[in-house]
Amino acid sequence: MAMNLNMAGGAQGMMKEGSTLADGVDEAVLKNIGATKQLAKIVQSSLGPNGMKKLIINHLGKTLVSSDCGTIARELEVVHPAAQMVSMASAAQDSEVGDGTNLVVSFSGELLKLAEELLRTGLHTSEIVQGYELAYAECVRVLPELEVARVKNVRDAAEVAKAIEPVVAAKHEGVEGILSKVIADACVAVLPPAPEAPILKADQVRIAKLRGGDVASSTMMKGMIVMRPSETTVQQLEDRSKVVAFNCGVEMATTETKGTVLIRTADELINYNKSEERALEAIVKEIADSGVKLVISGGSVSEMAVHFLEKYQLMCLKITSKWELRRLCGATGCTALVRLGAPTPEEMGSVSKVSTKELGGRTVTVLEQLGDAQTKIATVVLRAATASLIDDLERAVDDGVNAVRMLCKDPRLLAGGGACEMELSKRLRDYCEASTGMDHYALAKFADAFEVVPRALAETSGLDQTKVIAELRDQHAAGDATAGVDLAATLSGGGTGAPVRDGYAVKESALRLAVDAAVTVLRVDQIIMSKPAGGPKK
Amino acid sequence: MMAPPRGMPGGYGQQPGIILLREGTDTSQGKAQLISNINACGAVVDAVRSTLGPRGMDKLMYDGTKVTISNDGATIMKLLDIVHPAARVLAEISMSQDSEVGDGTTSVVLLAGEMLKQVKPFVEDGLHPQTIARGVRKAVGLISKRLAEVAVDMPPDQRRRRLEILAGTALNSKLIANYKDLFAPMVVDAVIALDPLLLDLKLVGVKKVPGGSVTDSFFVQGVAFKKTFSYAGFEQMTKSFDNAKVLCLNVELELKSEKENAEVRISDPDDYQSIVDAEWKIIYDKLALCVECGANVVLSKLPIGDLATQYFADRGLFCAGRVAADDLGRVCKATGAVIQTSVQDMDRPGVLGLCAHFEEKQVGGERYNVFTGCPAAKTATIVLRGGSEQFIEESHRSIHDALMIAKRGAGDSRVVGGGGAVEMELSRYLRVEGLKCDGKDQLVLCAVAKALEVIPTQLAQNSGFDPTDILNALRKKHLDEDGLWYGVDCDNEGIQDTLEKEIWEPALNKANSLLAACEAACVILKIDETVRNPRSQDPGAAAGGQTLQQQHARTSQAMGGRGMAGMMGRGGRGVRRLK
Repeated sequence: MAMNLNMAGGAQGMMKEGSTLADGVDEAVLKNIGATKQLAKIVQSSLGPNGMKKLIINHLGKTLVSSDCGTIARELEVVHPAAQMVSMASAAQDSEVGDGTNLVVSFSGELLKLAEELLRTGLHTSEIVQGYELAYAECVRVLPELEVARVKNVRDAAEVAKAIEPVVAAKHEGVEGILSKVIADACVAVLPPAPEAPILKADQVRIAKLRGGDVASSTMMKGMIVMRPSETTVQQLEDRSKVVAFNCGVEMATTETKGTVLIRTADELINYNKSEERALEAIVKEIADSGVKLVISGGSVSEMAVHFLEKYQLMCLKITSKWELRRLCGATGCTALVRLGAPTPEEMGSVSKVSTKELGGRTVTVLEQLGDAQTKIATVVLRAATASLIDDLERAVDDGVNAVRMLCKDPRLLAGGGACEMELSKRLRDYCEASTGMDHYALAKFADAFEVVPRALAETSGLDQTKVIAELRDQHAAGDATAGVDLAATLSGGGTGAPVRDGYAVKESALRLAVDAAVTVLRVDQIIMSKPAGGPKK
Repeated sequence: MMAPPRGMPGGYGQQPGIILLREGTDTSQGKAQLISNINACGAVVDAVRSTLGPRGMDKLMYDGTKVTISNDGATIMKLLDIVHPAARVLAEISMSQDSEVGDGTTSVVLLAGEMLKQVKPFVEDGLHPQTIARGVRKAVGLISKRLAEVAVDMPPDQRRRRLEILAGTALNSKLIANYKDLFAPMVVDAVIALDPLLLDLKLVGVKKVPGGSVTDSFFVQGVAFKKTFSYAGFEQMTKSFDNAKVLCLNVELELKSEKENAEVRISDPDDYQSIVDAEWKIIYDKLALCVECGANVVLSKLPIGDLATQYFADRGLFCAGRVAADDLGRVCKATGAVIQTSVQDMDRPGVLGLCAHFEEKQVGGERYNVFTGCPAAKTATIVLRGGSEQFIEESHRSIHDALMIAKRGAGDSRVVGGGGAVEMELSRYLRVEGLKCDGKDQLVLCAVAKALEVIPTQLAQNSGFDPTDILNALRKKHLDEDGLWYGVDCDNEGIQDTLEKEIWEPALNKANSLLAACEAACVILKIDETVRNPRSQDPGAAAGGQTLQQQHARTSQAMGGRGMAGMMGRGGRGVRRLK
């Protein structure tokens, strides 16, 4: 069956020296499968709330401790071309959905592993591909039937918190109760008011990382935290102060063209400096007269400007990042001006309360919107003892926010803890029974592949996986479509099914990407690598 | 220190050498990896173990240029330059403890390391690390609750005394322990002087003056800084004022061109003199404005030239140029002055600062400008004296720790007994609670209970006592009703009620270090794979911890493999085979 054309010698002669070529089932397909299997094996143990973490030292020497598959796949620096495809699929899931990256890698790895068995029994790759695609089509048809619940109101923080708890738990078990509530509060706070459609951008929830303290003291607030104090001595502002933001620096404009000031008389010399000072003072006074209390500068703030800001008792924040400035504008509702001068009332923003605090050894400025004041930005303040832990928490928050984002788009929920996968597996097996022809084998394997999820969950929880799978199969056969792995039951066998829910959109996208990746890898029958060009290695 | 390379057979075992990761990448996984990580942490703990407590020893570190002597956990960790990834996690918590709490950096590392050491046998026996991590977290949850229960809330009217005791306890284990009666009140004065809302320790200046004896160190309720570079005319200046008015400037008082980009062009030679006069007029105007505003003391971030110095001296003013920005900032905080970048409008109120007394004083070989009796006085300065530079450096670190402790203590009035007393109590409680649990949690809880005993054990050991005897006595005592606060007596071999003996620690700090230790232990337990990518500058170079021979062995092994290894075109140098 295998295509052993033995053309290696011929093709090799055709190409530049140093090129390598591999083809056929043995040389190419099985090798590719082997590599993806290895990648899947590495990340599989990180699946679920009890997933283990990986300690990675990346090429910059930075230490990462994480169980987030997106991060792991990115930092592992996979070089094998086939494994890279799977890793890219998980990256796509990460950027599109933000969660379920592990499912992509694990599931496509499992699909390929089972395909290998079929290949060894003599099936042709195209038959497997066909069978897998058929199975995927059936899954897509069945999946909507598996919906078990729906988030009724995405503006209800308590309901959202419950829905995203499993997502946070999967990344950082033990703190999901605290974190998911904080995340939900933050997300709900930035949703546009009721009549408008709830649309959330992941960018709207900021994360401030403060080392020290513990996770339980993490909080959320409407508004932003700026990691530096005010430039002037005005440190606190109360009662809805007006804000103006400048894209430029707060200083005297200098000419771009090289210019020299020509002085002809002694009076000119004496007044030269004074006139410049007066000009700047006039601008600052104008700003102060417009009622503004807080000046945000996107560029430098000259010492002279600080002097006058101080004189008129204005608070001044220097924000060097353009992105940060844009977010601050969003948080306060002001428009960034490109020229120094007094703003019109429409261009001004407002902020309920500004205070300077010392958090975790750093002086920060907190811009808060109290009460029901609208804001486009909310901040999750994360606290933890170590830098690597806090980075990992940040990834958990990112996933949580993304989960809320997806819920806003699609409020449907599926049974979690492997229940959904077990049910799909069961349905597919039924479907497979009815099919005839060569597809049958691939369909059966596809159904088996779903079991990788409950198996991984059981394994990381220290349960007997064979027993768990058997029990789950039993329950699903008996018609309980929501039976999943009970992760809390670490002492005895699991399988009682905790009410864990997964987002529908996440699962759908993960399945699609996993199948796509697996099928693409299977379809490759020849690998040609030209000799890498000389020069410095990356 | 890395775990042995992974050598388990693959699922089908017949694919030689598939290269998945970039060449030079080093991976290790599984139980062996975890054990190796725990061992590495053990090595770190051993490095700081002996520094704990009043009888702890110091470490001398030489980094090729500078000698540092310290017994501060975080300082040692920083200088140790740990490369082992898991051990680095441990080092990180000590630094986080340092930035958050300031003191107790050694005990955090010790506790986390001991927890790992105590659960290591369970890992070896095949207990799932997740189960252990969950147990550890449960244990810490229980003891945090217990800690809150037993913590003693001190009455607010004894705030000052409480802070002094807390600072004293912190200083106990430091180099300057013998002088704690001198320093503890100083530290408390400094913290009390600060703005109670912000408690910004940056406003407490610590100035180091080598020479003299430690006992010559003194505290200034205000600001002191070293005399700046001064020009001729300085000698004639008045160097002491009562009720001084202070002017802080960000202006250069020197005769020089105003702007870089200005050019003077004159057509009539007679005008030349007028331009020269104008320049003189500018500087004289500035000086006149400074004098007119009524200031006695003029300070500037920028240089004050000899012309200005002489001018001020003639008019009975004091001036100092090139004052460091943070010193000037503290002068502003203390006196209420506002830094002026222009001399134009200084006749407004609120520009000048006030202080009851200004003086230039001789301290050791240096002259110091000292501002005392400041009305706004939200700042303080401690001037440290001492024989050698290292001694002063270490004293500075100790003072910093004590300041941090006093700062935390200022916000929260609950304290616990030190000397390992609170750890013994938590250990006892956890052991009782542990026995109430069934399942594997019981094992872990008891292991954490045992781990807590490392603090008194180490205290006793560092003091040269028999730790077993002390620990037995403590365990027995803690079973009694009144034995709650019994800890190690480091001076006289035995045990004592540390709460009564006024060895106190803020409850907040203890809670923080327990949580930090727990977090670190859990993080390390949950790692099931360590991957070390080659650094971007030197791909394929040694992943630390592995000898060159090992690398060569691996290289040749990889080269021999067929398939992808040959295909990669890079000859597979330094590439690990994963299976």
